[in-house]
Amino acid sequence: MSIEVQGVRRAFGDVLAVDSISLTAEPGEVTALIGPNGSGKTTLLLMLATLLVPDQGQIRIDGLDPVSQPTEVRARIGWMPDGFGTWDALTVREVLHTIAAAYRIPPDRARARTDELLATVHLEDLGDRRARVLSRGQKQRLGLARALINDPSVLLLDEPASGLDPRSRIELRDVLRSLAAQGKTVLVSSHILTELQEVADRAIIVARGRSLETQSLDSDFVATGVASWRIDSLDPQPLASWLEEHHVPANRVGGGLTEVEVAGEENAARLLADLVRVGIRVIAFTPSQGALESAYLAATEDRR
Amino acid sequence: MSWHGVRTIAALELRQRIRTSRWPIVLVVWVVLIGLVTFLAYWATNDPDLRSGEAMYDIVIFFVLGLSMLIVPSLTATSVNGDREHGVLATLQTTLLSPWDIALGKLLAAWTISVAFLASSLPFLAWAWVEGGISAGHIVLSLLVLVLVLAVVCAIGLMFSTLTARPVASAVLTYLTMGALVFGTTIGFGLSAFLVTQEETQQVYGIPESWYEQHQPPDVDPADPNLTPEQLEEIKKAQTGPTRADCTTFTRRASVAHTERIWWMLPLNPFVVVADAAPSQPRKVNGYYASGFTPMRWISGGSRMARNGPDDGVKQECDNYVGDGGSGNESDYVDPFDAAQRTAPVWPVGLGFLLLAGVGAAVVAGQRLRTPIRRLPNGTRIA
Ligand SMILES: Nc1ncnc2c1ncn2[C@@H]1O[C@H](COP(=O)(O)OP(=O)(O)O)[C@@H](O)[C@H]1O
Ligand SMILES: [Mg+2]
Repeated sequence: MSIEVQGVRRAFGDVLAVDSISLTAEPGEVTALIGPNGSGKTTLLLMLATLLVPDQGQIRIDGLDPVSQPTEVRARIGWMPDGFGTWDALTVREVLHTIAAAYRIPPDRARARTDELLATVHLEDLGDRRARVLSRGQKQRLGLARALINDPSVLLLDEPASGLDPRSRIELRDVLRSLAAQGKTVLVSSHILTELQEVADRAIIVARGRSLETQSLDSDFVATGVASWRIDSLDPQPLASWLEEHHVPANRVGGGLTEVEVAGEENAARLLADLVRVGIRVIAFTPSQGALESAYLAATEDRR
Repeated sequence: MSWHGVRTIAALELRQRIRTSRWPIVLVVWVVLIGLVTFLAYWATNDPDLRSGEAMYDIVIFFVLGLSMLIVPSLTATSVNGDREHGVLATLQTTLLSPWDIALGKLLAAWTISVAFLASSLPFLAWAWVEGGISAGHIVLSLLVLVLVLAVVCAIGLMFSTLTARPVASAVLTYLTMGALVFGTTIGFGLSAFLVTQEETQQVYGIPESWYEQHQPPDVDPADPNLTPEQLEEIKKAQTGPTRADCTTFTRRASVAHTERIWWMLPLNPFVVVADAAPSQPRKVNGYYASGFTPMRWISGGSRMARNGPDDGVKQECDNYVGDGGSGNESDYVDPFDAAQRTAPVWPVGLGFLLLAGVGAAVVAGQRLRTPIRRLPNGTRIA
């Protein structure tokens, strides 16, 4: 039930949307696709969702080719587009019933599945409202329910967290984790990095239509990856000179704060201990960027 | 493709139409308009000589056809690119529905609505039937042809909505196509008639020109008392008309329109197809044909005459010019429309063409809905 993408390329006229992307997403894991706007994430997901033919390269979903075996692939995938509309006149429940019918799910099972999914995405009390009146975040949650209706083994979610309030984001995270725990392959595109770090097992960084690197986001990475830490101190001057003496890359940010780049949590703890030992009065020492964010920024630095 | 899939889409489309748009209002306006036209037709032709049954039937059928050709394209002309614009098409394309399910489901929904519109005109046709002059069979045949023509109109709109990115463009193209079918064919026929008109030698059985030359009145004053007997004889000759005995066969140069070479343009017009399928029959009142207002019969007869072209044989003109003394009388007179009505109909050709066009349009629409897509029209996004 894995996704394998090998050197995929897709152009629209003279716009090269996806230049060369390769990735693998394994079952039981949440794989994140991160990259700046216009880097080709949506286009890649359209190709995975059997809507677009790649100009070059190969895609295998569960060993099946979306170009030559679209029906078989469609039975296995759930796709949630980034921006999407709904049929204005239908109620939330009817939207899900219609999609279920499109998957040839018998009506009684469709009703049961709809109720189950409305509970999952917390839309139970909006079930009989027109889909048109839903807020953006609620529509987004309806989109997730829609992608899950055929109990797919491969999930393709395009920016599922955009428009969600903090509580819904946490709930989305839990839903994605539990789907992965059921052995499904989950591929999420996003640019909200802090969230992805908590939910994803692996991140694929893309920029300008190319996959730059695959970053495993296990505890090892968090413990050893380069991250930024913010230090607030009552003695900014001595702090600056101490950091310079010890060749710690640092820069002043607003509000008397200093930001330092440290590789791994171990080193961060040691730095704090050193600062306290030499008598610099530290009143705050917090990570400002996740390790994923730093990796992302490093990988996409050449954009400017 | 499956019936289940087609039904799923059709149900979705119908549910949306009924809930969002002003179709109930449109339907009411439609019924009121047809009722008004029917009543006016009844009022205008309610005369023992004109007999309102046929006139009402012709007027109502044509009005229904004309009005539905205005309304029906809007049912499908924006359905695919509109859905794409609203971002609801791709979510269906990634399900197990086939492109044919989507195309035919949309077609079925639009067709159902147009048939509902047609059905609402039934009471008025029933009224025409009660007035007499047309058989129920005629009405059924007309309706059947109308239903098929509307399906074709739906299919053409659907095709354009898959071919263009913007709904406005497809709506315009659909209406242009309707205009080409209705007006383009008629204008095309009229203009190309010049191309097939030529001077030809014609065999005529009738009164030759020479007869009239011989019967010229002499250049004298008839009141002159000093006329010679020859001159008096000439004056007398000039005052009598030609008789049947004067008819001979002679040749003449005349311009002849060979419409049999261009008639095929006429039945491409949906109005001609509907008119020719079931024109009202003329009936006699007190032994005479009453001149009812029967546009369908005229169109039908005209198209068949165009198809038949000019007569090959000797043109019989004797009866036209022989006044008294001739044996021709009213009962022998054959209405040319009536004669044309007895020749083969032209509507099967037109309906065949329209159905072929409709099937072609549906096939194009199905093809254009296929995913994954290799070539995307410029400036469109799938989702
Ligand atoms: N249908 C299309 N026609 C032309 N250009 C497109 C089309 N779809 C996407 N693009 C271009 O391809 C690039 C990648 O787009 P997209 O995959 O949507 O990026 P992302 O989802 O990563 O923000 C963008 O520059 C976009 O303008
Ligand atoms: Mg995107």
